[in-house]
Amino acid sequence: MELDINSPVLREFGSEQSLLSKPDGSATFMQGDTSVMVGVYGPAEVKVNKEIYDRATLEVLIQPKSGMPSVRERTREQCVRETCEAALLSTLHPRSSLTLVLQVVHDDGSLLACCLNAACMVLMDAGLPMSRLFCGVTCAIDAEGQIITDPTAQQEKESRALLTFAIDSKEHNVMMSSTKGSFSMKEMQQCIAVSQKASERIFQFYRDSVKRRYSKIL
Amino acid sequence: MAAGFKTAEPQEYHRSFLKEKCRPDGRELGEFRPTTLNVGSINTANGSALVKIGNTTVICGIKAELAVPTADAPDKGYIVPNVDLPPLCSSRFRPGPPGEQAQVASQFIADIIDDTNIIKKEDLCIEKSKLCWVLYCDIMCLDYDGNLLDACIITLLAALKNAQLPKVTINKETDLPEVDTQHKRHLQINKHPVASSFAVFDDEVIIVDPTTEEESLATALITAVTDEDDQLCAFHKPGGSSLLAEKLQDCVSRAVTRNREINKLIDKVTESKKSSK
Amino acid sequence: MRETPLSNCERDFLLKGIQEKKRLDGRQTYDYRNIKISFGTDYGCCTVTLGKTRVLAQVSCELVPPKDSRPTEGIMFFNLELSPMASPGFQSNRQSELLVTLNRQLERCLRNSRCIDTESLCVISGEKVWQIRVDVHVLNHDGNLMDAASVAAISALCHFKRPEVAIQGRDVTVFSPEERDPVPLSVYHMPICVSFAFFQQGSYLLVDPCEKEELVMDGLLVLAMNKHREICSIQSSGGIMLLKDQVLRCSKIASVKVSEITELITKALENDRRARKEGGKFGFAESIAKERITVLTREEAPLDTTDIQATADGIISKADAPPEVVPSPVIVATGTGQVGEGLENTWGLEEDDEEEEMADVTERKTKEDEVMVLSDSEEEEVVILNQDGRSKRSQR
Repeated sequence: MELDINSPVLREFGSEQSLLSKPDGSATFMQGDTSVMVGVYGPAEVKVNKEIYDRATLEVLIQPKSGMPSVRERTREQCVRETCEAALLSTLHPRSSLTLVLQVVHDDGSLLACCLNAACMVLMDAGLPMSRLFCGVTCAIDAEGQIITDPTAQQEKESRALLTFAIDSKEHNVMMSSTKGSFSMKEMQQCIAVSQKASERIFQFYRDSVKRRYSKIL
Repeated sequence: MAAGFKTAEPQEYHRSFLKEKCRPDGRELGEFRPTTLNVGSINTANGSALVKIGNTTVICGIKAELAVPTADAPDKGYIVPNVDLPPLCSSRFRPGPPGEQAQVASQFIADIIDDTNIIKKEDLCIEKSKLCWVLYCDIMCLDYDGNLLDACIITLLAALKNAQLPKVTINKETDLPEVDTQHKRHLQINKHPVASSFAVFDDEVIIVDPTTEEESLATALITAVTDEDDQLCAFHKPGGSSLLAEKLQDCVSRAVTRNREINKLIDKVTESKKSSK
Repeated sequence: MRETPLSNCERDFLLKGIQEKKRLDGRQTYDYRNIKISFGTDYGCCTVTLGKTRVLAQVSCELVPPKDSRPTEGIMFFNLELSPMASPGFQSNRQSELLVTLNRQLERCLRNSRCIDTESLCVISGEKVWQIRVDVHVLNHDGNLMDAASVAAISALCHFKRPEVAIQGRDVTVFSPEERDPVPLSVYHMPICVSFAFFQQGSYLLVDPCEKEELVMDGLLVLAMNKHREICSIQSSGGIMLLKDQVLRCSKIASVKVSEITELITKALENDRRARKEGGKFGFAESIAKERITVLTREEAPLDTTDIQATADGIISKADAPPEVVPSPVIVATGTGQVGEGLENTWGLEEDDEEEEMADVTERKTKEDEVMVLSDSEEEEVVILNQDGRSKRSQR
């Protein structure tokens, strides 16, 4: 097995919920040095031109650390929004608005995956009804074809291809996929399989964090 | 009667077709709409192409300009793609600055160009840190009926193949560029990426080449881009319902077939254009 | 979304409390809330929490041509952003009055006080200078944004290091942090804003107002001062008249507060520097309180990937292989071809409008005969091409 020596790892990760007083839900998620803070407002009143008659309108904003949001942030926003839309039971809050604001605190690789994880944590914190949970995993394929999970910015730069998947907690299927660079079909399927493995650990983390919050013993 | 059913219950209307493994416009689930390609549609541009997939019509013009290379990449030219969705192509788009869909499409195309190296950026350099070509690839949608990305990539590829650049030399004495419009050369195309888009219905049925109506009713959209060596250049699924890895694999193999079809089309059309001269 | 307005009962309650020298959170009149400063892994990244108010500052730099009027000076650029995360009332990319005031105040506090040596930022006179950009993001709004923003901005500036450059003639080489150690900015002094809220036409005064107190205040006095007790800017807003004594008293309070805060910043900088030097852990991940029940972390751990290959192979082998033969396209005219058929195509290749753009087309092979069939489900016409024009249908 070629993966024996450099078996893929997930960097140290962690989260904090309910850390901001203003938003209805807030969380930070950290993977290694990558860190994203997110706040959610809603369900609240919606602007008339954005109102959808049978479900809630979800808006996602990603704020970069320096400078103005660019086209790249738009692409990320779309990915996060559509993933959240699929997980949220937005039909329970028709004609209302949900606003998710993500602030990039530090980017050291796997940023989109971190955004997705932070988004899921914040939706849990706000207690919004969801049909399933989701998590993001980034895989990089380096020049030798080795798969690196949860790459750092340096590893991303050296990689030949970069694949980010969102995995759902129900059947561990692929909810979102965003890629960069070229890769073969086999590599893609391997990355999906690795991501599914990695997702189990993140879902366990979600479960533990909820357990910790609602248990009386620390 | 059918029209009323379609307006009142669009979801159910489509479902009743999909149950019979066909679609309201008579296509099979895995069938693309007829794809028509015309190259050299704009005489004033350096390269151009027009593509029609069903009703979706997209035109691409390539304008080459001379510029100074950037400081961090002195031996490279650059390619600037831009996707424009004017109010002309559909009532859903408003005039003014580009909306989210146009921005996402532009970024997607820029990523494809960078990731696959369609054109070696070094080829666009005329003299290191002095002069290079900038290719402005303006892609405009004339009629929007779903599956924008597929059309954009075909038209971009065909237009790049069609593009001709004049020979430019730098005069040693005056240090000014001299353009020789008599000698024109085609660009060297390294990779031939082709996109295939899919829509997912009711979390399970996958249909190919969705129309606007199908896109709006779908629970997820997928775009797979492959090149001629069957390598994937992008597998973009911005969210939506979750799918088994097996289903994704089906999409990829369909995309591979589509790539062969389209590349054959582009080759033949380009050839017919050349032989007519 | 709109901000929740303050009810009359709340307003009266707050003002009554202030008259009795009592504050909502139990502070004394001149007390600051807790200030916590933490630095990120990047140079020039800093978060400051002031009670529940939280701001993030990031300093970045780039080489730009200088301003014509000052060819030997670097450029300082400040941008304070009211993220919609901070309060439901804030909207992204909307210039509100509050945003403009805060930005102006921050500029006056940090740029006009000349606390940063801008001449040392010049690389080639008249051609290239460093532009230092300070982005301040407000993440949670619980009053006194100005003080928090100024502390965050100056801490980030002190923490920031720019890349080393070398000049050879007119060529500038920028070294990466691995090649040469980056250099810190030269900071002359650290101006810090201290806000005073006035109530009842200036008869009551509070330091560091929280959001509720800001909603009922009559006027605000913002003093920017450094630890040498030099005033860098004074700004009074809200339209209250202040006596000379009041301003003097405020400046005395400010000088005490400023020296406290300066010490805090120096200590935080020192801690971060030591952690970096000793190779210990630093950054935001280290600064979160692990004992809270809302916090959970997991150690780095390898993944078991033994059956990855088999799973991937299984899926690929199960999928249908793409067919080798694909239908050939039809060339309808020079430079025009089509693949796939069977649907109506409103682009009318059969019509003569094609001629206009391709005048050189002399011969067109119009093979197709047309059969028109009216479909029953749709109102539109469907053109079905006959056998000659039909190529092999695509599979699947």
